[in-house]
Amino acid sequence: MGVIVALTLKEAMRRRAFLGTVIILIALYGLSFLPRAFKEAFGGNERQFEVGVNLAVLFGVDIIKFFSAVLAILLCAGAITAEIERGYLAAILPRPLHRWELYLGKWLGVMLFSTANATLWTAMLWVSVAVQGEPRMEMWYALPYVLLYPVLYGTLALALSSFLGASLASMFTVAAGAFAYFSDHFLRPIAALFDVKFLQQIVWLSEWTVPMATLKRLVQARVDTILPPGMDDAPPFGSPEVLAFLKPTVQTLDGVYVAVYITIALLVGLLIFWRRDVQ
Amino acid sequence: MWAIETRNLRKVFRPLFGGKPITAVDNLNLQVPPGTVFGFLGPNGAGKTTTIQILIGNVYPTAGEAFVLGHPAGAIAAKRKLGFLPEKFQFHDFLTAEEFLRMHGRLAKMDGATLQKRIDEVLELVGLAERRKSKIREFSKGMQQRIGLAQAIIHDPDLVILDEPTSALDPLGRRRVREVVQYLKERGKTVFLNSHLLSEVERSCDEVAIINRGRVVKQGALDELLVNRSIVSIELKRVEPRILEGMSKVARKVQPVDERRVTAEVDEEDAVPELVRAIVESGGALLGLQAHRETLEDLFIQTVEGEAK
Repeated sequence: MGVIVALTLKEAMRRRAFLGTVIILIALYGLSFLPRAFKEAFGGNERQFEVGVNLAVLFGVDIIKFFSAVLAILLCAGAITAEIERGYLAAILPRPLHRWELYLGKWLGVMLFSTANATLWTAMLWVSVAVQGEPRMEMWYALPYVLLYPVLYGTLALALSSFLGASLASMFTVAAGAFAYFSDHFLRPIAALFDVKFLQQIVWLSEWTVPMATLKRLVQARVDTILPPGMDDAPPFGSPEVLAFLKPTVQTLDGVYVAVYITIALLVGLLIFWRRDVQ
Repeated sequence: MWAIETRNLRKVFRPLFGGKPITAVDNLNLQVPPGTVFGFLGPNGAGKTTTIQILIGNVYPTAGEAFVLGHPAGAIAAKRKLGFLPEKFQFHDFLTAEEFLRMHGRLAKMDGATLQKRIDEVLELVGLAERRKSKIREFSKGMQQRIGLAQAIIHDPDLVILDEPTSALDPLGRRRVREVVQYLKERGKTVFLNSHLLSEVERSCDEVAIINRGRVVKQGALDELLVNRSIVSIELKRVEPRILEGMSKVARKVQPVDERRVTAEVDEEDAVPELVRAIVESGGALLGLQAHRETLEDLFIQTVEGEAK
């Protein structure tokens, strides 16, 4: 399996993913210096600068979540069926290795690459704000949960790639992510504020279908401590039920659900790949 | 123990969204003796590739059994002793020839020292020793085919399945493949060769099986299948029934082609002068004659066309 992991890593580097890594690094570096640039250009006190850094950090964490997930989708969506169609697996599958070794090898390879990327990006963001005298350890506390984004979406894309080509696998994964994002960011406030049961059920369903909102809460619990006071507070009206729906808090089993979801997605993809004909 | 054995092997592909099921392999019974070079022949769509995919474990049979070196097809124990060169492949072209073979050696669970020695050997054997540090993307199609052959034998397998190994090669490349096949045969390996180039198969193989519509229609040793039979092409001033009748007394089969030409099949070359005598005695005016031994191509066409009728 180690050979497949190494091969997947080499392929990832070859597919210009490395270039993407560098571009995001530069973007994060630039982002971290925006508050200082604003302060120097428009003036402002230390407190405003500190808030600016906090916002840059929060936005930086969002960038890391988004791009590490996108990278994982791109690498995983073409890992199985597309490679079979192109003929890459024709000489590898007859080797004495189980299909699960090949599948998990590819999964591990992409996850290692994504982990390295997200860690590198976090390190860049942390160092660049630290040198400005504003170290934020919160982003390191959030990193284990941020890493779950590429794991979740990469696993989903890999499972779909066990029977779909690269374009369809990535399209369906992105569609699932978009559904989860749309439900959490747009449907949730509408469903809560206007108390529409049907929309609330859709939001609830979307969270079970793709637990992105659950993951978001897990990350926020680690980084939102640096949010400026007053930001992201619940509105000063509505019943406790409505407010609880609008601003759900982290539940004890949230992490477990995400882990179970990823495990099931991994196993389903593995099962399909194990049982399918390859030619 | 057979190197390859199939018992009533059957594979039916059922389209995902309805449609007529396609029977690619239909009660295929095949026995490949160990240590032979075995030709696996058949027209397009006969089920050759599907059979090979079942043997290497890529496709699951619908019914029947397939064994490779005594193990169920697709089992890890079978794959350990199996080398395979696919017909359609795309190698990881960012690797050098040496890295590529090292990767395949490691996938075949070879240890470091043995692997390095073996890489040198096979690169020499396929004529790529001097290009070991070149990336595969720099290779010509023929060189890629040869590095493919190298990966198939890197782990010194007991059975090598070659799916159209010479399709992309020039005459020199084809000779190199023949040499590799000969090398494997001398080392007691079994080579299972699927090729459309029947002259290549005839030169390399000890045994052949011809399949059509998913079934074996002929199998045996080449020298038994290609008996000392001659095909004679005759040109006459005019083909007449009495001449054909006279020829039929000597030839086992007489087939008029047009008004001037006839093809006759005789059991042995010694019968050709007798055939000439029969034509002359029947009053035929012989203008030309060409005799040649029956080739694998003749046998193949005869078998497949016979099946179609």
